[in-house]
Amino acid sequence: MLVKDFKKDFYDTLQRQRVLVLVAFDVDALCACKILQYLFHCDQVVYTVVPVDGLQSLEQAYLENAEGIRQVVLINCGATVDIVDLLQPEEHVRFYICDSHRPVDIHNFYNAVQVKLLMREDELSTIPSYDEVFRDDEEDSDQSDEENDDPESGYKKKRFDDESILRRQERRQWNEERVRILFDYTKFTSYGTSVAMVMFESAWKLSKDTNNLLWLAIVGVTDQYVHFKTPRDKYMEDVIALQSHVSRHNQRGSDGESLLSVNCLRISFEEELHLNLYRHWTLFDSICHSMPIACKLRLWTLKGQKRLHEFLAEMGLPIAQCKQQFSAMDITLRSEVKARMQEYMNKYGLENQDIVLPSFSMQFGYKNLLCATDYVLACAASLESLDSSKLQTDNFLLASDILQRSSPEKTDAALEGARAQLRSLVSQVQSSLDMHQIISAGPFLYVFVQEGTADSRFFSQPMSLIRLARFTLQAHCSVTRNKRAQSLPLVLGAPLSLEEGTCLIIGIPPLDTDDERKNFFGKAFEQAAQSTNMTVKCNGFDTFIIEMRIEDRSKFFDALISILQ
Amino acid sequence: MDPSEVEFLAEKEHVTIVPNFSQDMIYLISGDVGPFTAGLPVSVPLWLAVNLKQRQKCRVFPPDWMTIETLQEKKQAEMDSRFFTEMPSPFYIEITQLLLQCATDDIPRADEIRTLIKDIWDLRIAKLRSSIDVFIKSEESHAKLNFLTLMEINTVREFLTKGLDHMHQLKSNLTGGGMANSSQFL
Repeated sequence: MLVKDFKKDFYDTLQRQRVLVLVAFDVDALCACKILQYLFHCDQVVYTVVPVDGLQSLEQAYLENAEGIRQVVLINCGATVDIVDLLQPEEHVRFYICDSHRPVDIHNFYNAVQVKLLMREDELSTIPSYDEVFRDDEEDSDQSDEENDDPESGYKKKRFDDESILRRQERRQWNEERVRILFDYTKFTSYGTSVAMVMFESAWKLSKDTNNLLWLAIVGVTDQYVHFKTPRDKYMEDVIALQSHVSRHNQRGSDGESLLSVNCLRISFEEELHLNLYRHWTLFDSICHSMPIACKLRLWTLKGQKRLHEFLAEMGLPIAQCKQQFSAMDITLRSEVKARMQEYMNKYGLENQDIVLPSFSMQFGYKNLLCATDYVLACAASLESLDSSKLQTDNFLLASDILQRSSPEKTDAALEGARAQLRSLVSQVQSSLDMHQIISAGPFLYVFVQEGTADSRFFSQPMSLIRLARFTLQAHCSVTRNKRAQSLPLVLGAPLSLEEGTCLIIGIPPLDTDDERKNFFGKAFEQAAQSTNMTVKCNGFDTFIIEMRIEDRSKFFDALISILQ
Repeated sequence: MDPSEVEFLAEKEHVTIVPNFSQDMIYLISGDVGPFTAGLPVSVPLWLAVNLKQRQKCRVFPPDWMTIETLQEKKQAEMDSRFFTEMPSPFYIEITQLLLQCATDDIPRADEIRTLIKDIWDLRIAKLRSSIDVFIKSEESHAKLNFLTLMEINTVREFLTKGLDHMHQLKSNLTGGGMANSSQFL
């Protein structure tokens, strides 16, 4: 059931109640959780936050924490599965699901009593209507007639009169139609509006929005774009909507200067250079590790590096300065980098879309200036940090602190982690391409990350895996001579755990469907697993990432090829 | 007294806020507050203003004296005068501290105000110290200082009283003869 009025249907029912909040393990969910926590603080609602990284931990967290709780909020998890069926809650428990995963399970949508969805109505328009998928059973009367018919003969005798034959036929047809409709509906998985954005808009309707919450919404939306969950058009729509909020909160004073204290958060909209982490790194490294430019100029090859040197020379940026920390470059050069890049980019085959991204940056205090994409990368790096001594909840709390901006040291450490991740990403792509590991298997391309390499441990987490897959696909399409490569999807395998011999497989859609970003691999993996009778685990909330044993890989792939052909 | 106790006393001062909710009057032991009407200014104690601001339920107006011009005049007057001048409020430093901490975005040019208040505070404390110095050296028995605020007195209270006690002990030992109990010393 969709929530029509945020305040009446959702927020007021949580007042003076104990609430359990289950949060998925990504930056968008974390931002939405922080917005919700702020609203709870304002109104003094008692709550428990539990991070969950998959369906199993969702179940476990629910079992452990559900004593006496009547209201459960799920953030970025649980919309795609029948939640009432999964968790078997008691009658009086209410679930509020705020999730950007689509398609929403029909049971969640049509459950009027226990499940409430906090989503935008227009995104749920493709859901099948009630009559197509649910049917109040007339069959019971049919069955009982058959039972009563021949009690003496002791066995069920099928009635052969026309009425029941027609009814049975109609029922069969309806069932087939239902299966077809459900298959079409769940074939593609995609993502809706960012949950942080939905939460922010709800806070705005409650008149409790602040600059801090606006920044969290911005980070959530940027996270969706950085991890390739939404197409660029949707991102632009969201950015335009956010821009009006930004100008409302961050007005300039009449004399052009801001009247606010320096310690307040200030957000500004600008067309940012689409170079990852360039303010915290050297310009040269940042260009080499940013996907659009690196792929167009092929910066992992020697020739590409020479072209980059040429590009920098033509722009008038001395190489020695480019290889220094960005903050140590000349002030005049720093301010002109963007203008110069835009001037000379066409000669090197780059477009404006590759270099510049409309985005936001924030500043508080004198030292800390961060743009939204960098912030997302830093948070993602701290959520997926490889320190095996830390629990997952520790990582969650660390990322939460970074979003709170409570300590600049943690942010710096996270930025360092993001840099390490980017470096290993690029070197992995480089080795895949150099050793020609990307093989075309008919309907798709596939590549495996070798076990045991130094970088492979970075890719045992879903978010880095998504970025690696995308980077690999884009890099491959830029070097290959195969014209079809643009329309082929990619399946990538990475080792998960060497002791258990498991690996993670991810499938991403081809590059030319970039306008929609719909992923069909969830269903494809499921069918392949069924046809080969294999045990594959789909632990996370994204169905296009699954876990399986390394030995089963080749069998699975054969099945997948036959399904997709 | 603890500085936090002084701050507690300061929180009884009234400030003007503009709430965004509506509610009837609240009857408390220390006085009545309200009624609250969304959009209309109302005068409430500082502790309530801070709590409401933290819960995003109101906007705080800075007190009349918390402007750059007024504070600059005050600072000039303080610098020119040899004695203490009257402060706009007996709890000026606590009020400034609390408001600038929680309602920074409601107060224009907050950084400059903070600097000015700090300057005024430093001037007054310096004057206090030098006057204590003069007091001790001239061995007077009492002194009168006008317009000191509670927080400023509190900074010297403990040390000054103990120090004077000590000196009294030493003096009485000198004049009182050898039969004084020397175990009085701490």
